[in-house]
Amino acid sequence: MQLKHKNINDVLIVRPLEKRIDASTAAEFKQKMGEWIDSGNRRIVLNLSEVEFIDSSGLGAIISGFKKIGNDGRLVICAVRESVMSLFRLTRMNRVFDIYASENEALDALSIKA
Amino acid sequence: MKGADMIRLIIDSRLENVSLVGGAVRGIAHTLSMDSTTSYQLELCVVEAVTNGIKHAYNCQAGHSVEVDVLRYPDRLIFQICDSGESMNPAKVAPFSFDPSKIETLPERGMGIYILNSLMDEVHYETISGQNILTLIKYLKKPEKPA
Repeated sequence: MQLKHKNINDVLIVRPLEKRIDASTAAEFKQKMGEWIDSGNRRIVLNLSEVEFIDSSGLGAIISGFKKIGNDGRLVICAVRESVMSLFRLTRMNRVFDIYASENEALDALSIKA
Repeated sequence: MKGADMIRLIIDSRLENVSLVGGAVRGIAHTLSMDSTTSYQLELCVVEAVTNGIKHAYNCQAGHSVEVDVLRYPDRLIFQICDSGESMNPAKVAPFSFDPSKIETLPERGMGIYILNSLMDEVHYETISGQNILTLIKYLKKPEKPA
């Protein structure tokens, strides 16, 4: 699974380049996110602009990262397509994650609230 | 069933094959001029059902068949997902419940059946002669209420 990442002002920005995060890729995604958190990243923006499809396994992998970082940091999401957003709403994960329209807005939020 | 167009998709029980079924469902949604969210949700349900079969009926073992029959009627779509693996016990499916304010309660799995029941108009599961059949029905038009 291709995951582009960069660091801006101590914020890790992760952008999956795959169109799908599903049961066939969720384990790899979860492992990679876990490694980044284990290596000390505490402020993470997950940019889903390229992702057209997430199933419950993919969502579970994102939740896993959120739980792993816990109260020790923040994992926020940005640039979610409307169709994918419907899964967040259906599962009430829109009440769990802070979701921003753009990467810049997410970065601003993490900078202000850090 | 008379009056239906039917497509039968058969994949080997590997998770990387599920997106092939997803693509076919998306294509069907496109021919019905569904909006992107409805199309996504239809694909999501079938993907969840097929993934469930591979994970739970076949324990992620390749070499088995998962069959998806798609029946298109003027007023509804029916998806029948069939496997010959271990049967699901619907009574053992844990309810989807968590407290958004308590991080430790957030679920990482067990959302599939909830998604099916939420997005589909009808969901049925039965085992006949060793074959598990999960039937998903989505109505395309609401029946008009009498005046």
